[in-house]
Amino acid sequence: MIGAGIKRGTAELAVLSVLEEGPLHGYELARRIEQQTKGALRFTLAALYPMLYRMEQRGWIRGIWETSDNGRRRRCYRLTPTGKKKLLPLRQEWSELFQALKMLKRVSHA
Amino acid sequence: MRDWEAVVRDKLAGMNLEPDARGEVIAELAAHLAETCEELCKQGTTEEEAARRTLSQVKDWEKLGRLIQTARTKENIMTNRVKQFWFPALVTLLLSMGLLMLIQVFGPSPWTVSRKSGWTFVAPVAVIYLPWLLSLPVIGAIGAYLSNRAGGSRRAVFSAIVFPVLPYLAFFVVALPVIAIFNDYLAHHIMFGALFLGLFAWVLAPVRRFLWADG
Repeated sequence: MIGAGIKRGTAELAVLSVLEEGPLHGYELARRIEQQTKGALRFTLAALYPMLYRMEQRGWIRGIWETSDNGRRRRCYRLTPTGKKKLLPLRQEWSELFQALKMLKRVSHA
Repeated sequence: MRDWEAVVRDKLAGMNLEPDARGEVIAELAAHLAETCEELCKQGTTEEEAARRTLSQVKDWEKLGRLIQTARTKENIMTNRVKQFWFPALVTLLLSMGLLMLIQVFGPSPWTVSRKSGWTFVAPVAVIYLPWLLSLPVIGAIGAYLSNRAGGSRRAVFSAIVFPVLPYLAFFVVALPVIAIFNDYLAHHIMFGALFLGLFAWVLAPVRRFLWADG
């Protein structure tokens, strides 16, 4: 299980990556992240929504109210062009971090 | 069936947001809780246990309310500050300074107030660009319009309008006294009449002209 500190840093990348595949509402978004990471990343309601609202304020995602087939109103989040632009450098940053950690591992095993 | 909206409304009673935004947050969180609870019930959990587990997702509702409030308003305030103050202020500053430069190069000669000293005239104590002063209400009106359009408060509008005068005010109120402290010649030859005339020509008169637009 990934610790809260690391999870906090990766959360925005996880949300943007999943929304890149298509629009989702909060509950479905959390479930999709959990499924795709095989439970390693799990978001409770308390962790998810403040982050979604923050990302929406930054203009990375946009929430639109939609009514589902069972008549329930849900807010669907979509990636905005700004969010798409943000995704690439975020991925790059994390990729560089993982590369650096791999190197560190090599050094420690030497 | 539990009324999740009522539950969330009760739990987030202390959250301070605009009524519309507050309603949206409550509806969204309630929909999330309802789906979590339904999913647990589908998996065979009793309704009571499902509700308990659903609510256990949030350990501190007060903290959640604060986090949501911050997320939905803090960055908004920053954006608003740019739209309501910084952008109109920089527009008025650029327009007024640009126009002043153009008038200095291409415009009519300024009205200069000189002081007679014995038989000779000393350097002018004030240089007043009348066309520039006359143009300031228009520039002030542009600044006021931009700040008003972004929903700026009375204070934000006023600050944005008089922003171009602040460097001159800083010169007369801060820089000049500091120079006088370190420069004996200036300290002993300071002409208070010239000082006040300069203050009038570069601070008070422009402020008055800028604010003409603001009624």
